[in-house]
Amino acid sequence: MTNIGSDLPRADGWDKVAGKSQYTVDYSESGMLHGCVLRSPVVCGRIVRVDVEAARSMPGVRAVVTATNVGNGRAGMLVRDQTLFADREIRHHGEAIAAVAADTLAQARAARDAIELEAESLPALTTMAQALASDAPLVHPDWESYALNPMAAELRRQGNVAGELIADPDGVDEAFERAHLVVEDEFCVDRQYQAYLEPMSAVARFTDGRCIVRTGSQFPYNIREELAAYLDVRLSDVRVIGQTVGGGFGAKLGCGTEGYAAVLSRAVGGRSVRVVKTRDEDIVTAPVRENAELRIRTALDAEGNMTAREFSCDMDCGAYGLETPTFPSILFHFAAGIYRIGPVRVHARAVYTNTPPTGAFRGVNGPAVYFAVERHMDNIARRLNEDPMAFRARHMLRDGDTLLNGQALADAHIAREACEAVQKSLPAVGARQSGDRLRGVGSATGFWVTNPLPGSVTITVGEDGRLHVLTGANDNGSGAVAMGLTQIVAEAMGVSTGEVIVGLPDTDLSGYDSGSQGSRTTHIVGKAALIAIDDLKTRIFDVARQMLPPGANELELVGGMVRAVGIGDAQVPLAAVFQMANFSNVSLSGSGTYATTPPAFTPGCAVGLTMPSLLTPTYHAHRAEVEVDSVTGNVRLLRYVVAQEVGRAINPDGIMGQIQGGIAQGIGFTLTENLRLVDGRYLERSLEAYRLPLAQDLPRVEVVLLEHPDSEGPFGAKGVAEPPLVFAPAAIANAVSDAVGKPFYKLPITPEDVLFALDT
Amino acid sequence: MDFIRTTSMEHTLSVLEAYGSAATLLAGGTDVFAQLPRGELTPGVLVHIMPVPGLSSVVLEGGAISIGALASHRRIAVDGALGGFGSLRQAAAQIGGWQTQAVGTIGGNVCNASPAADLLPPLLIHDARVALVSASRGERSLPVSDFVKGRHATAREADELVTSFLLEPPGTHTADIYLKVGRRSAMEVAILGLALRLTLDDRGRVAQARVATCAASPCPMRITAVEEILQGEELSADLIAEAGQSLRSSLSPIDDVRGSAAYRLAVAPRLLARAIEQTKVQIMLANSG
Repeated sequence: MTNIGSDLPRADGWDKVAGKSQYTVDYSESGMLHGCVLRSPVVCGRIVRVDVEAARSMPGVRAVVTATNVGNGRAGMLVRDQTLFADREIRHHGEAIAAVAADTLAQARAARDAIELEAESLPALTTMAQALASDAPLVHPDWESYALNPMAAELRRQGNVAGELIADPDGVDEAFERAHLVVEDEFCVDRQYQAYLEPMSAVARFTDGRCIVRTGSQFPYNIREELAAYLDVRLSDVRVIGQTVGGGFGAKLGCGTEGYAAVLSRAVGGRSVRVVKTRDEDIVTAPVRENAELRIRTALDAEGNMTAREFSCDMDCGAYGLETPTFPSILFHFAAGIYRIGPVRVHARAVYTNTPPTGAFRGVNGPAVYFAVERHMDNIARRLNEDPMAFRARHMLRDGDTLLNGQALADAHIAREACEAVQKSLPAVGARQSGDRLRGVGSATGFWVTNPLPGSVTITVGEDGRLHVLTGANDNGSGAVAMGLTQIVAEAMGVSTGEVIVGLPDTDLSGYDSGSQGSRTTHIVGKAALIAIDDLKTRIFDVARQMLPPGANELELVGGMVRAVGIGDAQVPLAAVFQMANFSNVSLSGSGTYATTPPAFTPGCAVGLTMPSLLTPTYHAHRAEVEVDSVTGNVRLLRYVVAQEVGRAINPDGIMGQIQGGIAQGIGFTLTENLRLVDGRYLERSLEAYRLPLAQDLPRVEVVLLEHPDSEGPFGAKGVAEPPLVFAPAAIANAVSDAVGKPFYKLPITPEDVLFALDT
Repeated sequence: MDFIRTTSMEHTLSVLEAYGSAATLLAGGTDVFAQLPRGELTPGVLVHIMPVPGLSSVVLEGGAISIGALASHRRIAVDGALGGFGSLRQAAAQIGGWQTQAVGTIGGNVCNASPAADLLPPLLIHDARVALVSASRGERSLPVSDFVKGRHATAREADELVTSFLLEPPGTHTADIYLKVGRRSAMEVAILGLALRLTLDDRGRVAQARVATCAASPCPMRITAVEEILQGEELSADLIAEAGQSLRSSLSPIDDVRGSAAYRLAVAPRLLARAIEQTKVQIMLANSG
């Protein structure tokens, strides 16, 4: 075992650092045109007239397209509620109105600016409260006619509610009636921009009647599905070729620029068209993390046991659903945290508004839910005058306890182990105040999930014995392919990682993959690779036996050789096995497909539940120490400690990177990143106004990796990428509340919030 | 838009004389290249003056310090000749990030005259003068406080070039400081900036106090009301509180994307108290050494 558990350098690392990686913006094709998109300045309205004649006759312009030229194909991750261009209705600021292709980008932009848009502004539903009012107009009057994707079969929808989950178990009201104490809290979180380095971009062309798109997407197979729907062509008439991804964090699961590049290419007779968003355009149109309002009430008995809970949440979809309608189901699973609570009533809604659409962002919904659940736990402990961590430990689930869906949690004790690890590393704060600075400590714990959706891998032995890995999985930058998959294949094949070549996804060539989302790639695709290797090894050994001395029954792969176990040093190189196979009518290629088998759950535990079970859970504890500047209200992280259960660490260094990065995004979401809507428009529309935390703002994150190998995962690996971000907001907000001595209920916690809390 | 690269003072002045208000001077470009794409500047010609020699030095001139208009923020932050001007060095070290500091210049920061210009409060508390020259009228100099006329407005005539800034060295028993309020530890446009120069007499009373702020009024300014309250007094908690109240009522901040007016007003007295405390400690340490 040399490849597993080793900090091997990532295959794509040098080129990325040296600026040699080819991203979509670096990619061009012969005769390529440049496209750009006209976006609505109106928040909500009706198009009266779009006059493109002047734009069409401008220098270098090859095509101008609007809803009237491209048809009304609808697509969407769950509900097919979106068209490429606003047809008559404008539903949000920044919605696409038209697109232009020209010889140069400057010409395309000049023509775009010459398009005359006349739109009648209508009253906009810019808040969830407005959209939920009984007399509110419908953001989508035709919502009932929209097609649903298979994942949305259980989705419960009604008017402006794009997805609703209701769990109403017996005994909640009785428990509240008998309660000794009821603790009630309301929380809200604002939006967060994924802020990847590479703005969305795509190059499309039509060849032999088929659409070929290159894009650094996290989910090429979904891009293909959405494009086929938008273009109204057969799925297989679209080919999506992956490019190096310059970060995605969930924003690049669906179409961003691909559809515009494709319809422009079709309009110019198939010539290549590249569309790249500007940063400001990217901020306004990215499927950012949803803003949400959460209310929790917990009933407690005289001994301080939690006997029931009510949890309600409204989350803002924006004008189109994307992934958000399924978030109420995610919230349901985590509504009790990792604690023994009596019956839990949950009511969660995803709400359409006239605001830019929200969607998937690393840890979808988790940061908000755990912020609420774990802040609430601190508040309960304070009311009971108990230490927050001691209170948690007393009520934590035990092995075999069931979750709200009835699913048993076999390894709940690992969370306890994680809590003990972070407390040992970071004991209670010493001096609370030093001059005009205040200190506090906060924690958060819980479990997260590994996305179970299917992936596939084909591995082929090349003429020189190297291994070519073909998969639809794209490395979104996490290293899940460049480290995780590569090291898993190398280990199982008995070679060094340099002998493993993983290509970029291509929907014409690679097998299906469900995208780099939900911390799934290392676990799912790694497992698919092991299944492929089982298949491949059988073929290799069958051929090699003919080349080895008689009696070579048991064979193994070591150092690029097939070796007979127990027969001296009889061995044959993989390259030679290939030559033999090539003339023996044997294909030295193996394929595997894997999706996690769902565990048993209680049907009917909730209605509107789109994800009935939680697969491959992992366990986490975070603990933060902060210093609050009582002059400015600024918060600085002094220490940050993470204990994370990973199943098995394939590349510990890679996991450290994921944890450090997740904490950075958690710090941003909690403290520095404001993405405020004012009357339906973002206030922060540039990276000058939208403040990502800087290197200087980040603590050195201290990590304890807990390894409890998963029986199904490749070498025991589970998903690791999302949880660091999921638990950070709760831990930091608890620490700030502790330092200031006042509870905080809203994210981000701004210096203004801190200062005003100190003053009141 | 034309682009002219000038390589000497004479060349620059003749270009300015020829183009007048159609010309926009370009040094490090940290403001110009942010404002051009936003359409806030629409120059007929960009005049790139970075190659002009002799404008980036920091030199002693008859007891006073002269800082060339093209001196970079980084240069100001680290130049040993500016030892007596800690607030200026601190302000320069907090502009943008390292990349911005490497190319941005004092001339650009002052002439852009942003309400949030970090270098202006330190220049104001040191009574700095700005030197200008034109082809037709020759040299002149005026106090920075007269040079900055308002938000993005200065007394520079269209044919004039700012060449240097002159600062008189502060006396003994004096310390100065610049405190900047931002959401992050760098890459911030000030939410509030405050510079204080404090001189204490032998008995620890305030011999002289100068206070200036940025990002709390249409342009950075001296707060003389606060200076007068501190003048001649002992630095008691009551006095500092009174000065803080005076500071609040002297400011006219706005709500913007970076922070609210209410926040700026809440921070200002606290920041003044921190500045007083820290300069006082500096003076005491200097005396004990």
